[in-house]
Amino acid sequence: MGKPTPHTPHPTSHREVPVMTPRVSPDRIVSTVCPYCGVGCRVDLYVKDEKIYRVMAQEGPPNYGALCVKGRFGLGFLHHPDRLKTPLIRRRKGAELEPAGWDKALDFAASRLARIAAESGPDALYFVSSAKATNEENYLMQKLARAAVGTHNVDHCARLCHSSSTAALSRSLGSAAMSNTLEEIGLSDVILVAGSNTIETHPVVGARIKKAAREGAFLIVADPRRVGLAEVADLWLRLRPGTDAVLFGAMARHLVDAGRFDRGFVERRAEGFEEWWQSARAYTLEFAEETTGVPAARIREAAERYADARAAASYWAMGITQHAHGTENVQALINLAVVAGQLGKPGAGLNPLRGQNNVQGAGDMGALPNVYPGYQPVSDRHVRKRWKALWHVRQPETPGLTMTEAFESIGAANGVRAVYLMGEDPITSEPYQDHVRAALEKLDLLIVQDILRNETFPYADVVLPAASFAEKHGTFTNTDRRVQRIRPVFKPPGEARPDGWITAQLGRRLAQLLKRGWSEAWNYAGPEEVWEEVRLVLPETFGGIGYDRLEREDLRWPCPHERSPGVSVLFTDGFYTPSKKARLLPAPWRPPAEEPSDEFPLVLSTGRVLYHWHGGVLSRRSALSQAYPELKVEVNPADAARYGVRDGQKVWLTSRRGRIRATAWVTDRAPEGVVFAPIHFAEQPANRLTLDAYDPTSKIPEYKFAAVRLEPANDVTPEAAGPG
Amino acid sequence: MSKVSLVVDGYLVQAEPGETLLDAARRAGVEVPTLCFHERTGTRGLCRLCVVEVEGWGRPVPACATEAQPNLVVRTETEALAALRRVVLELLALETDLSHDAGTQTLLKRYAAHPQRWSAPLADRREREPVHDNPFFVRDYAKCYTCRRCIDACGEGVQGVWAYGTTGRGHAAVPGTPLDLPLPETPCVFCGNCLQVCPTGALVPLEELSLAEGGLS
Repeated sequence: MGKPTPHTPHPTSHREVPVMTPRVSPDRIVSTVCPYCGVGCRVDLYVKDEKIYRVMAQEGPPNYGALCVKGRFGLGFLHHPDRLKTPLIRRRKGAELEPAGWDKALDFAASRLARIAAESGPDALYFVSSAKATNEENYLMQKLARAAVGTHNVDHCARLCHSSSTAALSRSLGSAAMSNTLEEIGLSDVILVAGSNTIETHPVVGARIKKAAREGAFLIVADPRRVGLAEVADLWLRLRPGTDAVLFGAMARHLVDAGRFDRGFVERRAEGFEEWWQSARAYTLEFAEETTGVPAARIREAAERYADARAAASYWAMGITQHAHGTENVQALINLAVVAGQLGKPGAGLNPLRGQNNVQGAGDMGALPNVYPGYQPVSDRHVRKRWKALWHVRQPETPGLTMTEAFESIGAANGVRAVYLMGEDPITSEPYQDHVRAALEKLDLLIVQDILRNETFPYADVVLPAASFAEKHGTFTNTDRRVQRIRPVFKPPGEARPDGWITAQLGRRLAQLLKRGWSEAWNYAGPEEVWEEVRLVLPETFGGIGYDRLEREDLRWPCPHERSPGVSVLFTDGFYTPSKKARLLPAPWRPPAEEPSDEFPLVLSTGRVLYHWHGGVLSRRSALSQAYPELKVEVNPADAARYGVRDGQKVWLTSRRGRIRATAWVTDRAPEGVVFAPIHFAEQPANRLTLDAYDPTSKIPEYKFAAVRLEPANDVTPEAAGPG
Repeated sequence: MSKVSLVVDGYLVQAEPGETLLDAARRAGVEVPTLCFHERTGTRGLCRLCVVEVEGWGRPVPACATEAQPNLVVRTETEALAALRRVVLELLALETDLSHDAGTQTLLKRYAAHPQRWSAPLADRREREPVHDNPFFVRDYAKCYTCRRCIDACGEGVQGVWAYGTTGRGHAAVPGTPLDLPLPETPCVFCGNCLQVCPTGALVPLEELSLAEGGLS
């Protein structure tokens, strides 16, 4: 045998550069974060001739070298002709939108906002922040409302997705975020996924849960639809839509009843057990079987598996939250985790899967009407005093309106008169679309700030073109509290500017016009300076997270100081409630707001598909639309036979509020009696059908349950698809 | 559990139980050349490029698929191994278009490979037509040496959808879809995690291809 010779590193080793082929050699490779869902996958964008030609996943958490179709192939919207490039103003109602320079457009917007505030008070203004924008930009938006204008009328789209999770988690545990992390998926013995089509909506997490199940974790899926994870589940609880609180209530009740709950955990770390137990007694397995349609034996097995596991994690999404009793649904999951003692240890926990790339951050930054940044309640006098001292300006006392309430109030006495939208398209995203259109027409001023022309654009009085995620600096916070840097790949197109710059410009002008605080306080040099202010005002949460550390370290909040790596598992020592104990609270089940009837016999549930994103503004302007070009509604074969519908046939879906035309997909993914419609198609909007019934606590709309009728569409004229 | 002590190229290595000889070599800072091995996909033991010699063992073993054992004496670069790797690389280069595979080209140089000494380049694999059946990426199997990473990324390793398998046997085995179905008719979810791990550029985003072709014209 020969003697050892010196070595050179192998160029394709996975430890070296990522796999790279010299078909095209990149001008630059930019490390940033995917703009789609809340997983927050880290990506390398390969750029040549000012075009992204390849997207590669980075190794390491949260995505460990994997991506999904949206992140990898769905960035075409960046160069779409619909990108907004110049500020536009409409001088008076009825006039055309005309191009204007930035100064003119900003002066116009600020003077109109100031005039309405002077006439009708600051609460006549409404500020919609964005879970697509950075932490810095969300911070500025709520600061604009609270400091420059003097109202708590600020909200963002989490109102429509996880506001019920936030409400229930905050009151029970004192923290509204995933208690554990995505890195821990492999550490769970039991994984309970409820009301989440994870495979399609958080595909990278979905694939990891699937892999964990292959490697021995016991997977329980609670979902009326046969979603991707239901196919690989060890135990699939196919409950009737809207009966989640009964299912989880019965699981918790069974554990206590059978003495299989974590008595030590409940005694040491929880409060309110007696009151909860009195409320839970009615949820017997028999009652649950009758109500949910899931056999009692399956509910019992799910409960026992969950409680007996060394570590059991629960994950949930819109199927739990988007109900008129969404807060109770989440509360039922929390109660179950508390009585089973599945909190405060690795691989366990309560984990709401957040939808938007920065929806966690938008909430953390206080883009909510009832809390300041850091979830500090507006109603607390001491909290208001603190923010007054920080911003040097008097703080309004009453919490603001939620976004859903604000749209309801338009046109009413003392209602909202002006709305400033940052990256929000209420026409496609709010329920009961015709109602929203009517409301927008009644507004005195609508400012639309977006990267792309959207459905709300025609109603705008001021259009402010914004820079996309690939054209600015800042931070996103993903679903498991990981704060990550984004970096510019390109210059913004035309005159588009970062949202943060625009908001700060408006802030400076409004502070001056309304004489609130120092207008100089709005002269930020850039996102990093805004972030430094966030660190200063929320030292316990973000004090240790600086841009310099984010360059070289993985950090998540809470991260109180420079040496802290950020806390992964929350609640190991205590909950964040005043008593440091978890609160068990009654989670009474109520039937859905609108029951099916003879005229509208089916239940409509809405949601997302793998290839598209929310209102479709981004995904339908990319290659993704070729893979999923048109609206398909899932119809169970039994219903298809009953209503004379064939697979691939055009159908009408009609509710009490309107109708849409769609293509039927006859599949047993949807249970009998339920049709499922994706929300991505503005011209066939599922939200024309949904109703404006709201959860009383969180004001989340009931997107997951509306009574509809299904009929074959016999005509073939496209005109018939017009406004119904 | 106690660590496993072994010697790699003269370095004493303390490997964790269950680690492979490749892991042990990397602990010592010794790079063993690999082609098919990938940490994420779990692909291993196919290309035979990472073969190493173990004293007292009759024949070379693949480092990526052999568990480290106490007191082994491992050599990763010997003349015999170099000859073996050279042949492996030459045969790959004969039947595959490696023009976009910078890594393997470097290895071909490093091991002074001369594929032509065996024969002229073999046509049957090199002349396969690129498969363009979806809006996102192209499968140009003329550039594929069947490392199987894409198959493992699609199935067990990462995504768990098993849209790919091998078609053909032995020498003729190539990755593909069952019954050669177009990808949209398979369980494929177009995550592109196959493309992520493809070392040869056989799987390539459409955007990259059109950019490359635009650049040529």
